[in-house]
Amino acid sequence: MDFISNQKVQIDAMLATLNINSIEKLFDCIPKELLNEKLQEDDGLSESEGMLLMQEIVAKNTFGNLTSYLGAGAYEHHVPALVGFICSKSEFLTSYTPYQAEASQGMLQAIFEFQSAICALTGMDVSNASLYDGATACAEALLMALRLNKDKNKVVIAGSLHPNYRAVVEQFLSSHQTKIEWIPFDNDGKLNLNTAKRLIDENTAAVLLQYPNFLGVIDDIAAVTAHAKSCNVLSVICANPLVYGLYASAKELGADIAVGDTQPFGLPLQYGGPYVGYITCSKELMRQLPGRIVGETVDLEGKRGFVLTLQAREQHIRREKATSNICTNQALAALASLVAILWYGKEGIKKLALTNYQRTAYLKSQLEAVNGIQTMGNAPFFNEFAISFGCSFNEVDAHFRTYGISPGVDLGQYFPQYKGMVLIAVTETKNKKQLDKYIEAAKTLLSQKTKREK
Amino acid sequence: MIHKTVFEISQPGQHAYSLPKDYEAFTQFKPDEKLLRKDHIGLPEISELNLTRHFCELAACNVGIDNQFYPLGSCTMKLNPRINEWCASLPGFTRTHPLAPQDTIQGNLQVIVELIDILCKITGMSAGSLLPCAGAQGEYTGIKMIAEYHKKNGDTKRTKVLIPDDAHGTNPATAAMAGFTTVSIRTSSTGNLDIDHLKEMVSDRTAALMLTNPNTLGLFSTNITEIAKVVHEHGGLLYYDGANLNAIMNIVKPASMGFDVMHINLHKTFSTPHGGGGPGSGPVLCNEKLKKYLPIPRVEKIENHYKIIWDDIASIGRICSFHGNFGIYLRAYLYAKLHGHYGLRRIAEHAVLNANYLKALIGKYFTVPFPQPCMHEFVIQADCYLDQGVRAIDIAKRMLDYGVYAPTIYFPLIIKECMLIEPTESESKATLDRFIEIIEKIIDEIKENPELVQRAPFDKCVLRLDEVQAAKHPILKHSLT
Amino acid sequence: MKFTETHEWIDVKDGVGTVGVTHYAQKELGDIVYVELPKIGSLVKKGQAAAVLESTKAAADVYSPMSGKIIEVNQNLNTNPELVNSSPEKDGWIFKLSLTDVNEFDSLHDKET
Repeated sequence: MDFISNQKVQIDAMLATLNINSIEKLFDCIPKELLNEKLQEDDGLSESEGMLLMQEIVAKNTFGNLTSYLGAGAYEHHVPALVGFICSKSEFLTSYTPYQAEASQGMLQAIFEFQSAICALTGMDVSNASLYDGATACAEALLMALRLNKDKNKVVIAGSLHPNYRAVVEQFLSSHQTKIEWIPFDNDGKLNLNTAKRLIDENTAAVLLQYPNFLGVIDDIAAVTAHAKSCNVLSVICANPLVYGLYASAKELGADIAVGDTQPFGLPLQYGGPYVGYITCSKELMRQLPGRIVGETVDLEGKRGFVLTLQAREQHIRREKATSNICTNQALAALASLVAILWYGKEGIKKLALTNYQRTAYLKSQLEAVNGIQTMGNAPFFNEFAISFGCSFNEVDAHFRTYGISPGVDLGQYFPQYKGMVLIAVTETKNKKQLDKYIEAAKTLLSQKTKREK
Repeated sequence: MIHKTVFEISQPGQHAYSLPKDYEAFTQFKPDEKLLRKDHIGLPEISELNLTRHFCELAACNVGIDNQFYPLGSCTMKLNPRINEWCASLPGFTRTHPLAPQDTIQGNLQVIVELIDILCKITGMSAGSLLPCAGAQGEYTGIKMIAEYHKKNGDTKRTKVLIPDDAHGTNPATAAMAGFTTVSIRTSSTGNLDIDHLKEMVSDRTAALMLTNPNTLGLFSTNITEIAKVVHEHGGLLYYDGANLNAIMNIVKPASMGFDVMHINLHKTFSTPHGGGGPGSGPVLCNEKLKKYLPIPRVEKIENHYKIIWDDIASIGRICSFHGNFGIYLRAYLYAKLHGHYGLRRIAEHAVLNANYLKALIGKYFTVPFPQPCMHEFVIQADCYLDQGVRAIDIAKRMLDYGVYAPTIYFPLIIKECMLIEPTESESKATLDRFIEIIEKIIDEIKENPELVQRAPFDKCVLRLDEVQAAKHPILKHSLT
Repeated sequence: MKFTETHEWIDVKDGVGTVGVTHYAQKELGDIVYVELPKIGSLVKKGQAAAVLESTKAAADVYSPMSGKIIEVNQNLNTNPELVNSSPEKDGWIFKLSLTDVNEFDSLHDKET
């Protein structure tokens, strides 16, 4: 099938207007030797055949049968029913980038509200309209810091940054031959503050920290940013925005630029995307922000309206001198995050963040009490922590699968010194019955292991 | 009607949320005081009904392809079929975590492998990646692959990327981001790349030429093979900006034209919804020469099983957090399967037919800088109305009052008072005829009552907006004061 | 006062050059909404981009007509960038530099091209 409106009657009339007798004539400008052969057989599907095909394919996914404790930058949260309803409205879903502002006030105001909400959460002054994801947001933040400090070509980054984010940052910075120095972390997963202070010097453009870090640990961020400020170095904090519902805001921690991914709000896991990168900064740095920004203005009669603004930074005007090459961003996904953030609201966000922490704390403390389980240490956490069962990850995974559980991420794949450790994320989607089942599975695994060793 | 922002309709204590049952076993855990947020969180308090109404009001002040004809050149605003939305919301897909064990997401991996196969068949390329989250990111990936190719050949002098002066802004911005300097190649008076200027500027310092074919003026470069030869002879590579693929899909392959690497905009050619500015997806495809540099992770099919390749030493590395915009390319996959290669070709045929039909009818009202037959889009100039004090932007704004979204204006930058029009294959002849009627009405207004055009629009939620004020005194968020 | 081919002007007095853009330039750009001023103390070569003028639809580099060290910038442009439009060759001056080679003045144009 296809979605072409015109059929024989209309096609004939149009060809007559053009004074040609076949559509093929319209491709005369293409050298004959380059042309594909015309296809004879219709290899398309009807709508019902298409649906059947997708149902067959999706049936091969069995992940939905598992209770998942996977995190590592993508978190399972409740998606309010309202989100899908609003994002599937024709006027939002099928609209274009709001360059024609007068016909796009709906989307422009929604983006303005998204920017406002992200500023409210992070405590920062200015937000853009979204970037692709948390990883590219980190890269863009560092490029921004380097533009603001053209005489410096070094950045310092936490070694406990999400390894995928690390890889993306290295990709972007490699084009500029920027020197990157990595702050090591101690066995408990916390950044080594002394080394941090030594690495961050007057030649550094920016320091990037993650909050919580990849290991689930809350670092002593304020100590690092205070030192950075004393050396005239910009501080970039990359955070799961839900953390701001409980713990200190990026502003309170001394960030100059705050970035991250709003996926925990309103976006299902979707095998990794679309998610939403956010980037915010203090007022003074605003003109170096990449991507689209919506601003408030007035119309000819003084009525308030919204437009895309500060466009001179962007690729369509500044071309090779643009702050970024980004054009299409994650607009509709940002709308989804906005609706979810508003659904929780001022009080709901706090309660949501708290219950995420408390459920995590419950599972963590129960597991730590099981004989044979080792923790990473006593560092503060939010919604994720790592433990070792004293056996290989594959053994742990296989055992937990018999309970219908995906126990967590194999930390050893990312950090060899943590071989055997499992990174476990707990969200408000886990009730007591499920958490107790996890604990039971852990206890059985350990007792089976003890039996074998005897 | 003035629309309050959601912050302005906040009512103390109101809320929409509900949270699952709590237990003493959970609530006994108190977070460390020292870590707690002290700052106020400036978010609104709003009930579910008011939240619903708020967004319905905003939607009423916006328009999509579902609502109106949207002849935006360079954007390919075709129908976003609802069956794609149905597919992308299947819980079996939406609930999958990007780090899920491979045996539990074989369906996802099948979609990835098969879509890349389909795109390779359309483009003549050997391999590809669905990781780039947008066209610009696809461009970046492709240019970085080219950089790696030259580096591995020991060719460290190649620091320049050649770009036509009518190219989309993302092209030079991408080249700069990838560490190259850009060299602009002129467009000739016939609307095609000035091949003599290309020959003058190409050298052993050229890493690549970035080109789109048909170009941003809607014209096919008939001498593309010669252009490719010039660049290849000097050791440079050819990058194809696939933004205009809708014109030539399954008619001619970019690989046959001589391109080495390219991206496709799934939110253009493959109907995934524009969503007010995104998300999109910009898969990158390449020939044998560049295949080893493709980003990771990749997916391989081994007999009946799919496997993720997490790392490859030759690859340029990662370009995004996980697997790209999976939810978007899932839609494109179904779209491609419904059409089959047969139907995808029909898209190109009808996109080009609709554009030429519209151009033939609209030509008498404007300056037509390139009279030859166009491909899927064409350029006209409104400079003939400057004497009456009317510019392209005014005509565009007046179209909004007639229930038509304005075409792209002032792009490409090299054409004065330019309008770039792309009807797409979705539209019917009747819609195109109606568009001509609207143009005729506006042209009459320019003669009889130019102010109606100069101060348009009148029929939208707001009158013409002051962009100067917005840029001079930026207000970028709701303030508490 | 002399001019460049890229529509800047320079007024030299006692080894100090005052630089701005011409009437033609400001008209082409439209309403200036922001001026990116150079850093005081930075060195610029003749023909090097020293400042940027932004309108809502365009951004243009301001190239220094002569070489020198930036000693003063027009702070008024931070609050009133429109001065570049209303008085481009007087109140809308952009920066001043202490010149390193006064002979460069001779190769500039007498009249706006």
